[in-house]
Amino acid sequence: MNAPGTTEAREVIARAKAGDAEAWGELYRQHAPAIFRFCRRALPTREDAEDATMEVFMKVREKLGQYDASRPFTAWLYRVAANHCWDMLRRRKIRQDKETEEVDELPLEHPDPNQLERLIEQRTSEEVRKALEKLGTRARMALVMRYYSDMSYDEIADALGVRRAFVGVVLLRARHELRQALEGMSALAAGGAR
Amino acid sequence: MSSPPEHFSARGREHLDEMTCLLYVERQLERGRALEVSAHTQECDACRTLLQALERESRLLTRAMLEEEEPLPARLGAFRERAKRSMQWVWLLSFGLAASGVYALYTSYVEPLQQRLEEAGFGGSSLLGLLIFQGAFWKGWQAMVSLIEVLAVVTLGIFAAVLLRRRMKRGSAMAVLLAGLCALLAMPMPAAASEFRKGESAEVRRDEVVQGDVFLTGDRMRVEGTVKGDVFAFGRALEVPGHVEGDVIVFAQSARITGQVDGNIRGFNNNITVTGTVGRSITEFCETLTIESQGKIGGSATAFVNSFTMDGQIGRDILAFSGQMFLTGSVVGDVRAKGRNLDIASSARVNGRVRFEGEHEPSVASGAKLAFPVEYTHYKSRPEYTRSRYYFWRLLWTCAFILYGLVLIHLFPEFSKECVGAAQNAGASLGLGLLVCISLPIAAVLACVTIVGSPLGILAFLVWLVTLFSAQIVFGGLIGRWILGPAQDAWGQVGRMALGLAIIGVIVPIIHQVELLEFLVKLAVVLWGFGAISLALFRRFQPPSSMATAGVAPATPLPAGTTVGGGPAA
Repeated sequence: MNAPGTTEAREVIARAKAGDAEAWGELYRQHAPAIFRFCRRALPTREDAEDATMEVFMKVREKLGQYDASRPFTAWLYRVAANHCWDMLRRRKIRQDKETEEVDELPLEHPDPNQLERLIEQRTSEEVRKALEKLGTRARMALVMRYYSDMSYDEIADALGVRRAFVGVVLLRARHELRQALEGMSALAAGGAR
Repeated sequence: MSSPPEHFSARGREHLDEMTCLLYVERQLERGRALEVSAHTQECDACRTLLQALERESRLLTRAMLEEEEPLPARLGAFRERAKRSMQWVWLLSFGLAASGVYALYTSYVEPLQQRLEEAGFGGSSLLGLLIFQGAFWKGWQAMVSLIEVLAVVTLGIFAAVLLRRRMKRGSAMAVLLAGLCALLAMPMPAAASEFRKGESAEVRRDEVVQGDVFLTGDRMRVEGTVKGDVFAFGRALEVPGHVEGDVIVFAQSARITGQVDGNIRGFNNNITVTGTVGRSITEFCETLTIESQGKIGGSATAFVNSFTMDGQIGRDILAFSGQMFLTGSVVGDVRAKGRNLDIASSARVNGRVRFEGEHEPSVASGAKLAFPVEYTHYKSRPEYTRSRYYFWRLLWTCAFILYGLVLIHLFPEFSKECVGAAQNAGASLGLGLLVCISLPIAAVLACVTIVGSPLGILAFLVWLVTLFSAQIVFGGLIGRWILGPAQDAWGQVGRMALGLAIIGVIVPIIHQVELLEFLVKLAVVLWGFGAISLALFRRFQPPSSMATAGVAPATPLPAGTTVGGGPAA
């Protein structure tokens, strides 16, 4: 559940909870880069991500007293960040709320595994990030929660406000969107090269 | 995720569907189902390859997202106690500006004007009256210093809106604001019932007595009877041969007062003639004002006219800004006039002082009975840019705009960014700016004319005014963006806006020497900024949309047939 590069520091958290400014600074330094990247992946622009990071930590500081020390701190932190980003997208009116709840069905198709392999094989991380930027808010948010911050299906369901059973649907649809975006980029590049 | 794995047939062989494979990879299947999938993939190459591809896709996603391709921004280097402090500074500055503006507004203009206004018959009026009439009297509108005060008042308004918005939902906040404004407007209004009369010929008949106010709208309006309240007239021609116990407020091409008005006359007309009696004062914005020899004004006459002929009697003072003024009647108080010419005929009589500031020396006939000699000040028209005061005010103006922009950007960083972004579309901004800039005040006036919609009209006018002041900020931001590129944060926006405004501040005095060019440039700047704000607002109120960009096909709808977790196909 921990984001890479961060460590659980119960003592630091306890001191920060007690109002120790230095401990809070330490906590911030440890986790700010990961939360910024989370926001950067989830939100449309860098400025949004910067603002959101700051606001997430303001919220965290306010709610630090509510944090249950028996659970991983980073998981809690990501949950706060996810809720904040999702809420921010709602306020900006670019959140998609009416998608998956209407869809009870799943694709039956069995994609060509070799084709999928080829699509993945040729992709760099940068291309994937660019493709992510082209996704709808829900798809993007779901992928970030799952594959960046390693949130559980329950946590994702809670953050997105969908039933747990739909999280798989959301993720699969997001992957489909991503593949289409990657293919679109390939087609564009091929067109440009011609 | 407890449904059994779904199989489906492809070329005569059973395969797992992708959802089941994904849930297996994600370890979301129950143990029994997972074992079934595992067993299947031992024998099925295609499904095993699909599982591997999905796993690789997951890893690719995680790797792509975790990669640190950009460092933590400097402003996030430390937790923003500093950010909070800097915002506190902005708030303090804004409140200081607002408070000092309001104080200056009151002491410099409102207090001294109150006395003059009371003399002119404006003691204790409605807010509507104050906004329309007192605003027009306020000479400070023309001075640069008033700009700071306007900005301060606007800032205060924004604070109120933001405070309300923070405390309640947007809709409720708007409702409270509108209700407050309506209450303000309605509070000082008289309680008497009003009558509305409209048509080609709207009139109060000779034998008729109207107990309250009467609103007349029409081509020809005529008051022959008695009106106990005020008369509000909006139309082409008004004639008042009857008796009005209150005020006459007239917006008409021509007006003729031949009867008796106990209150004041206030009007915006092409021409107005008074041959009757006015108990209190007359205030006119018109082309021609004539007070004929039978005409009597009990109070003062205040006129912003091209031609002013005063052949009757004025009980108190005359304050006139006119092209030509002919004084042939009698004035009990002082005459203060500013304009091109002043002619005082031999029949004229003035008990007070006569002060005239104009281009030509006043012509005074020998028989005129003046208590004091005319005090004349020759008005020399000299290009403004040759005066140091001009540059001082330019500087002050630029600083005021920068401060105003700073407050706006910190209060609405996102919207400011959107406005500057919209301004990059020059054609759309200029076109929309022209359209909205012209149509909004027309709509506001139309709303005011309908009386019932006057709060809405005044609100629309205020919105127009605020947008007009903000247009230059947006254009400044655009120039800054052209030079320095897009801003990364609010302070970046402020810097770009300040740079842009400073450049405008330098360019305007240079082109000031060519009046037409200056006018065109200023007009373009205002329209451009106005349009950008309108465009950004328009986009804001568009229905929610996806972040997905054009060129990428939307996700294909999932086909019907199976359920989550690989349940049996329908």
